[in-house]
Amino acid sequence: MVGLALAVALVAAACGGGNDNENSTATTAGGAAQKGGVYRTAISSFGFTQGFDPTAEYLGLAFDFYGALLRNLVSYKHVAGGEGNKLYPDLAQSLDGVKSDDGLTYTFKLKPNVKFGPPLDRAITSKDIEYAFERLNIATLGAGYGTYYYEAIKGMDGKAKEAKPISGIETPDDQTIVFHLKQPISDFLYRLSMAATAPIPREVAKCFDNKIGGYGRYVISSGPYMLQGSDKLDTSSCSTLKPISGYDPTKKMVMVRNPSYDQATDDLRGNYVDGIDIQVDSNVDDIFNKVLQGTLDGSLYEPPPATIVRQYVTDPAKKQYLHSNSGDRTWFVFMNLGTPPFDDIHVRKAANFVMNKAGILRAWGGTTFGQIATHVMPPSVINDTLGQDFDPYKSADFAGDEAKAKEEMKQSKYDSNKDGVCDAASCKGLIMVNRNTPPWTNAEPVVVDSLAKIGIQVKPRELADHYTAVQTVKNQIPIGMDTGWGKDYADPGTFGAPLFGGPNIVPTNNSNYGLIGLTPEKQKELGIKVPAGTTFPSVDADLANCNKISVEEQADERTACFVEIDKKIMTDVVPWVPFLWAQNVTTTAPSVTKYEFDQFSGYISLTQIAVNNKATVSS
Amino acid sequence: MWRYVVRRLLWVVLVVLIITALTFLIFFVMPPTDPATTFAGKQPTPELIAEIKHQFGLDKPVYQQYLLWLKNLVLGDEYGWPGLGFSYVTRTPVRSLLLDRLPITIQLAVGAALVWLCIGIPIGVISAVKRRSAVDRVSMGAALFFVSAPVFWLGLMALWIFWYKLHILPGTGYVSWTDNFGSWLSHMILPWIVLALLYAAFYARMARGNLLETLGQDYIRTARVKGLSESTVILKHGLRASLTPLVTMFGLDLAGLIGGAVITETVFNLQGVGQWTVQSVFSGDLPAILAVTIVTALAITLMNLFVDIVYAYLDPRVRYA
Repeated sequence: MVGLALAVALVAAACGGGNDNENSTATTAGGAAQKGGVYRTAISSFGFTQGFDPTAEYLGLAFDFYGALLRNLVSYKHVAGGEGNKLYPDLAQSLDGVKSDDGLTYTFKLKPNVKFGPPLDRAITSKDIEYAFERLNIATLGAGYGTYYYEAIKGMDGKAKEAKPISGIETPDDQTIVFHLKQPISDFLYRLSMAATAPIPREVAKCFDNKIGGYGRYVISSGPYMLQGSDKLDTSSCSTLKPISGYDPTKKMVMVRNPSYDQATDDLRGNYVDGIDIQVDSNVDDIFNKVLQGTLDGSLYEPPPATIVRQYVTDPAKKQYLHSNSGDRTWFVFMNLGTPPFDDIHVRKAANFVMNKAGILRAWGGTTFGQIATHVMPPSVINDTLGQDFDPYKSADFAGDEAKAKEEMKQSKYDSNKDGVCDAASCKGLIMVNRNTPPWTNAEPVVVDSLAKIGIQVKPRELADHYTAVQTVKNQIPIGMDTGWGKDYADPGTFGAPLFGGPNIVPTNNSNYGLIGLTPEKQKELGIKVPAGTTFPSVDADLANCNKISVEEQADERTACFVEIDKKIMTDVVPWVPFLWAQNVTTTAPSVTKYEFDQFSGYISLTQIAVNNKATVSS
Repeated sequence: MWRYVVRRLLWVVLVVLIITALTFLIFFVMPPTDPATTFAGKQPTPELIAEIKHQFGLDKPVYQQYLLWLKNLVLGDEYGWPGLGFSYVTRTPVRSLLLDRLPITIQLAVGAALVWLCIGIPIGVISAVKRRSAVDRVSMGAALFFVSAPVFWLGLMALWIFWYKLHILPGTGYVSWTDNFGSWLSHMILPWIVLALLYAAFYARMARGNLLETLGQDYIRTARVKGLSESTVILKHGLRASLTPLVTMFGLDLAGLIGGAVITETVFNLQGVGQWTVQSVFSGDLPAILAVTIVTALAITLMNLFVDIVYAYLDPRVRYA
């Protein structure tokens, strides 16, 4: 009988799916914001890269949490869209006149009465910010994006053995901090918005100055929320410190209001909920079912499965609870210029012409999850100054243009009989790295079929550890579709040098996948072989020019400059087939009365959402 | 008997040593990921990767790392005894993580074992006694269904019906019985039943087959001829002899589950050893992988020894040798 019931239930489940009509939904569901309640959510795993220590951690989701736990000299309003990417003073009193005329000195005055949370409950001083930079400079702590500061601030090189004063940072008094730069850095303020530069109390963090990721279990709040149990932390000595109970990397992160926080000092955050309760739930379907049931208030990190999305888009009553926001991220197929046949620009252009991007989008889950990309930088990062209207490889309905692709392939040295199909041996059996999870696996056949039309026969390799494979230069992976790039902060420069800068090519964790700007010296240093006569076009000079333009005074000019680089990359260099500008998708329950998206972190804004539940945080 | 036990215990130690050494070797020959590179940030320098390897102790030769791990295991490390090291991912001692998760897995395994014994053996006995009856056919049909049904599917369907549609039981997750006994029970009952159904089906079929074989023996006929009641013949004379192979199976099954019922824990979001194993493998957390390996190896080898001892008690023909 039970078996029969289960069989009937299975058939019912299979038949209840609805249709495939998917629509992008409103980005922000406004509503009456009320204080109180707990935002209850879940995640399949935290997946932090460096143990949640703000000095080193660089997972995007961590920035979402830090937005609630930490305050920086400058920060964001943690809202969606362009407004969410704008910088405002946070711990700094003002941003007016902070930069010297020569752009080499930045002086900030701190707001008074801003305190660290329990158990310290003491005023935050400029020395706490300086200490954050001292930690960034310690080699053993593995700062995830330390290069932003090593190239900028005098006396920083990321090679210090211990925390010690930095010559380029002065703290003349507790309320003043001065940065002396090696050279004008046009986006320096953005760099100060990153969590690693938030004040860190030396009396706690010094116990972990030689343990990578160690401070992650002891993060002391400077923001509106603190890790539950922070008040129980015994800071009398390093040996008495026990991990804060509210954060267990394999189980949960629970935040409660920081009693030392003064809302009057903060006009960036609403802080409506009394607590944020994030539980680890290994079953992703279960997370979304709990949101549908109302036992969770919303999702957090994972995109909803297609079956769940269908329930929202086909039910008008539910549609308002599906939120799709720009993730400021581009997904792309990369082609390695150092491996045949992609050393030939005609082959790379042909690959762009032939790609069925509409098919990829359908396999990806539809327009809820993204917009077809036609160039490198997501429009949201360049103030919508370049969108789908710029498409050098235009095709009807983005389905790919086989005729134009073949015209391009005919010009290639790899098409000896000039029939528009690659006939060289190097086009056969090419390893293409991919992820081993949906939606990448769903989109894979579309990419394989598209490339086959011009004779490029790829062998997909679906790997759990795909990034290690493609980011280790020695592997010389010819092509991959596992790669994406999101902003660190909303400056188009973040889509520049790390992806296309010649000096940024590194032996491991390399993100210049096409090896753009590779010099013979670098090639020798990396120990790789490339086809004879290969030229690696460089955009290093263009990047240097754009990076000279100030973020503060000439933002539009700077954006326009990077847009030109984007166009040049797509037409003269062509190392990618960009196929999707990602949307981040969240579902919420009716208990969420105010939904907001944090454009900086790319996830739901923990400091701007409101709920009407009566829940309390779990212990 | 004690000589036998001591000898077997020495074998246990040897087996565990071999298994952990193999785990070590597999990790370094075919690493799931490089923990040092993972921890080294966006644009790491070779110096930084070397530094992290040094901090994690991964810069020493593999055999030295193994010997150091072994020494800490036997003598204890700075976090207590047995020394299981420090997790690369959670930045906490592995020992405390294991102690945190093992009770959940033990609760799942023991609860499920009780359920499958209570369902499987009676059904097997009834099917054997009422051979070819409607009860037998339905029971064995159901057993075939549950043996064939994947646990993840059963789990998802059970959740869909009893939580999502009928609202009889709460959703997934774990609540400690010390916090709320009722909530603990309601959260554990579905995982117990789902996990148990697979095993119960096996046990029912095994019990039926063994009992049918036993009931055909001469001594059973003699017992009947002596005028013993049918229940005495079946329960006292037949069942005892037919259950002995099941004891071996039970010991190994239960011990295997101590290493984690990966799928059940994942579907029902029980943060036990199984779920941890998967997370640890994907993140290349070697100390955690080794801890799970040693627990599983110990559970299986010790349970095997225990079963062999019990076997001799159940079947006097077996002697310690």
